[in-house]
Amino acid sequence: MARAVEVWPLDRVRELDRRSTIVWASPSVAAMIHDTFPFTPWILGQPLPENARTLIAAGGGTLIDEAKRFVHDDAPQLRLIAIPSIWGSGAEAAPVVVLNRGAGKEIRMDDAYLPHARAVWPELAATIPRERALEACGDAWAHALEGFLSPLASPGVRDDAAEIMRGMLEAGVGNDARWFELSSRAAAMQARSSVGLIHGIAHTLEPAMNAAVWGHARLCATYMRPVFVYDRRAEKVPALLREHDLSADAITGAAESLFDAGHYRQSLPALESAWPSVLRDRCTRTNAVLVRQTDLQFFLDFA
Amino acid sequence: MTNDRDKLRELLLDVFLLSPDEFRFDLTREEIDTWDSLGVVSLAVGIHETFGYHMSPQEATSLRGIADVMTLLSSKGFDVGQSG
Repeated sequence: MARAVEVWPLDRVRELDRRSTIVWASPSVAAMIHDTFPFTPWILGQPLPENARTLIAAGGGTLIDEAKRFVHDDAPQLRLIAIPSIWGSGAEAAPVVVLNRGAGKEIRMDDAYLPHARAVWPELAATIPRERALEACGDAWAHALEGFLSPLASPGVRDDAAEIMRGMLEAGVGNDARWFELSSRAAAMQARSSVGLIHGIAHTLEPAMNAAVWGHARLCATYMRPVFVYDRRAEKVPALLREHDLSADAITGAAESLFDAGHYRQSLPALESAWPSVLRDRCTRTNAVLVRQTDLQFFLDFA
Repeated sequence: MTNDRDKLRELLLDVFLLSPDEFRFDLTREEIDTWDSLGVVSLAVGIHETFGYHMSPQEATSLRGIADVMTLLSSKGFDVGQSG
């Protein structure tokens, strides 16, 4: 069983010792963070203050994952407190570390990478541009749905995933602060299960697409709808959802609200050329239903 | 009409990402590089979807080659023939 990350109220973060706490914040929220927390600003690459004992990492998944790696590899004396500035990756709650290294990604997974604690700052939800918020909902939805449907999911994991998905359906998609907690729980849950074809496609296409525009979250949001329509053709998928009082139609509705047909069509040439790699991706191979070599046509026709 | 043996062949091509040229019914696990832990999961999912049979984890991990898959399915009443 994975170690649970402590969940701290924001007041507890504010009360940390000023002399031994440093803050690394992404530029998008740095002003807000430094106005609120009276701690020493720091960024990766700077010398670490000798008396530093706690690092607050406030930002997106990339920043939090780099902070997890730094504490694990270079500064184990630090206690890491993660404050996500956007939901989706769930980096603040997952033992997975995804590092952008040159043209590729380095992925590590170990409970030792987990932050000591995470905190939700609800006001940050309003700082997220609408389009990015929707894409981030797609990333979180993909964790929850694929973690639930995975052939590796235990009954307990499925119960957790179902509860998370009910929360997602209730929250709707958009700039709602409830997504911080839903996303954290979805990421922690899928680490005890696996993900599937949405992630197999996203991981494979990311290096082939313009990274400035086509991030992981956009690919998840784009492919949630076609992959769910593909998966739910197998009777076991709606049956599993029914067993957990979840409506396949409601989930399809959520996927439709995240789907952008223009984005989907733009991505298809990359999907077509990368299909053999998609099939070999480890996430694809733990999809809810077996992905066949000839199934590319389904996705081409879906456009 | 596709028979059980043809269905199994098509399934194994997809599960282990093999080309028709390299496929043989007497291939062993060691000869198939995609027959790893994820391959075991895919195989179990595919057998269930194609034949409606739920392999136990013990059955899935004990298979040493395609011949064992055929023996297992034959014992469940499927007409997949022999590996030779």
